Amino acid sequence: MSARDLPPVPAARRPLAVLAGLDRRLIFLVIGVGVALPLLFPLNLPVGVSREATAYYEAIEALAPGDVVILAVDYEPDTMAEMDPMTVATLARLFEKDVRVIALADYAGGTGIAARILRETARERGKAYGTDYIFLGYNPDYSATMLRMGESIRATFPTDHYGTPTAQLPLLANVDDYSRVKLIVSISSSAMAEYWILFAHGKFGEKIIAGNTAIQAVLIYPYFQTGQLAGFLGGLKGAAEYEQLTGRRGSGMRGMDAQSVAHALIVAFIVLGNIGFFVERSRRRDAARRTHVG
Amino acid sequence: MKRTGPVAFGFVIGMLMLVQHFTNDAWITARYANALDWKQVVFGITLILGVISLCLHHWKKIARRGEGWRYSILTIGGLVFMVVAAVVFTPERGPYPWMFENVQAPMQATMFALLAFYVASASYRAFRARSVNAALLLAAGVIVMLGRVPLGEMMGLGSISSWILDFPNLAAKRGVMLGVGLGMTATAIKIITGIERTYLGKGV
Repeated sequence: MSARDLPPVPAARRPLAVLAGLDRRLIFLVIGVGVALPLLFPLNLPVGVSREATAYYEAIEALAPGDVVILAVDYEPDTMAEMDPMTVATLARLFEKDVRVIALADYAGGTGIAARILRETARERGKAYGTDYIFLGYNPDYSATMLRMGESIRATFPTDHYGTPTAQLPLLANVDDYSRVKLIVSISSSAMAEYWILFAHGKFGEKIIAGNTAIQAVLIYPYFQTGQLAGFLGGLKGAAEYEQLTGRRGSGMRGMDAQSVAHALIVAFIVLGNIGFFVERSRRRDAARRTHVG
Repeated sequence: MKRTGPVAFGFVIGMLMLVQHFTNDAWITARYANALDWKQVVFGITLILGVISLCLHHWKKIARRGEGWRYSILTIGGLVFMVVAAVVFTPERGPYPWMFENVQAPMQATMFALLAFYVASASYRAFRARSVNAALLLAAGVIVMLGRVPLGEMMGLGSISSWILDFPNLAAKRGVMLGVGLGMTATAIKIITGIERTYLGKGV
């Protein structure tokens, strides 16, 4: 008889082993409360700034008033909580510096998000549509769009998101390809930032910075190390770091406390699960040894 | 012709996209621009095909009262409603943006937010140090998870987390990227030369 075949020991006789089989509803409850409480009662934990976020910040600070930047809102509503703080903080800083913004969305679902953030941020900063910023909207096929924009932005987008012919937009009067664009910012929840690097940087030598989800950020480290990506923000923490650098407390910094507690709770559950696992394994081995000796 | 035509077309377009990268010739550049424009048109048509396919699938389900057919009514109803709302009121005003802001966005965000609960539960059940390899993976995961938030930084895990991302993670990722890159190049050459023809579909 193997240790696995042994009958279970009553929970009362193995309290630590219970930790290996906690009810998932308890986990859900603890995580829910753990995330909600810091949002209601902020801990204001200090946010350290990474070198990736510093490089992202410096790329934007190097821009001069009047420079033109492409801002790609490459995400859909599912990742809004993580990505919106980056888009808002970046756009606000670009407007503060009087940089002109050409916005677009590489996902159809991103158009509603981009339109809202552009409208609200432009209103706050007193920016005019057509001269200070434009929104090109969504174009099918991101790869062809990125490559074609390097040849002609007006040909790629004959009209903007609102149906106005791009030839009539003052901002595009002297800007029709990447040669007049100083920087491309991709706020992306997928591999879209990598595509901007491949197509806009690889073929046209454009300078790229990106904001990514925490999961995706891990995948774009190689591009940052090689210099193909000038800087990036990783997840909500990246947004909080950029807010810290620009001196504006937004939803990125507000969310950091909740994320800290959530991560700590997940780690605590992993530790508890392992304690239970080792206790149970040790008991089974002891029982098997006794059975073998007997 | 059914096979030769598409393979020849693939060869011409594939070679055009390859050659244009090494020349500034005006004629080739113009054809390259044409190819990119057509690529977007083809992509747009695939979207239409997708919508037709979705409607047919759900229509058949409703017709034969298949499992969950009521949800299919909701799917088609939502699709028709959003199209009509966008056409009648434009995508910038009226019910279209309202539905996006107040129905689609919160629903998608909610679904994604639920991941936090499932990740917590799955991590608790799956992350067990059953072997040395599993223990190493577990330790790295815990350090990065904590090192990427202020709480972990206060515990001094920020620099260790950065080291893991900068060296072991980077080395593995770069190896994968090189492998994928070589694989993509090989596949592209096979498609251009007509060796790889599975994209043509069955029976070709």
